[in-house]
Amino acid sequence: MAAEGGGSSVPDTDVAVLREIVTQNQVWPRMAAKYGVDNPVPPWKTSLDGLCDALDHCASDADVPDFRARRDEEDALSATLYSGLPYPESQLVSLAHSLVRRGVITEPELIQRLSAVRARLEG
Amino acid sequence: MADHDHDHDHDRTVKPMVDEVTDFEVLEIALRELCIEKGIFTAEEHRRFTEFAEQIGPTPAARLVARSWLDPDFKALAVADPMAASKEVGVDWLEPTGFGTPSDFTAFEILVDTPTVHHVIVCALCSCYPRPILGNSPEWYRTPNYRRRLVRYPRQVLSEFGLYLDEDVEIRVQDSNQKHRFMVMPMRPENTDDWTEDQLTEIVTRDCLIGVALPRAGVTTNVVVATRPALHPVGE
Repeated sequence: MAAEGGGSSVPDTDVAVLREIVTQNQVWPRMAAKYGVDNPVPPWKTSLDGLCDALDHCASDADVPDFRARRDEEDALSATLYSGLPYPESQLVSLAHSLVRRGVITEPELIQRLSAVRARLEG
Repeated sequence: MADHDHDHDHDRTVKPMVDEVTDFEVLEIALRELCIEKGIFTAEEHRRFTEFAEQIGPTPAARLVARSWLDPDFKALAVADPMAASKEVGVDWLEPTGFGTPSDFTAFEILVDTPTVHHVIVCALCSCYPRPILGNSPEWYRTPNYRRRLVRYPRQVLSEFGLYLDEDVEIRVQDSNQKHRFMVMPMRPENTDDWTEDQLTEIVTRDCLIGVALPRAGVTTNVVVATRPALHPVGE
């Protein structure tokens, strides 16, 4: 489960749905500036912290990365595929990439869920 | 928002907020919901970890240091039994979230600075941090830049935070790991005679507890430094 000797153990091949999110570039510094908000981090940051903690402590049969592997993969992906994103967007998208490439979440179900969540929030 | 007709000015009465749904907000929710549906964790577990993340901060550690400066017996306790000393400032390492530790740590140690030894903490491997008592780690603490370079070039990295130590002060870099967490107890600065515990607590900032700054009378916020160049500039 843990990455051996550091480095990423997931392929850094493109995940199309995540690439699309990166391309849209709704990163917090831009959004905050657009609306005159001075919070230094986006409102979903602590929920992401909770998500990471919950993953780190889960006892699942799925290929969920442990703390070390999750951080190694985040470091590797944030320096390469997602180097254009600021933090914590890079942390979030790297985590999504890890979960998809490990097969914990499939790309089709992520696409479907993204659509459903957006519809709910905008409804 | 629907049009409405009344005489107050929203611009002056409501703090601005981002009034559109962003892809990142949606992605965080989608990941979380899928993990919950797959039984990887429960919504309740996630909520409690999130609550923990929102509540923690460096204040308990600052108070621990301030009290140690004022009370030699408490300082002795902090060194000999840091978990017990933490409890006296409101942090229970074994139950910080109310349902178990958010890490599998087995030990916590307080590194006491002296006139000839300065401590600074890092996690060279990932980003282990004494969160129950120091809150969330700053972004720079997580960067490979800090993690890799501090171990090899501590004096240079500290200087990038504006901390210039005399050559005769030994710098000890303490590497953290998932089972062993540390914080620094800096020395009490001058010009703080007769200060109360509350006054002293205010000047023990997070950066002082990591070891990249020293407390000073009148300084109550962390330094802002460009420890990481703009590797990820955000384009307009």
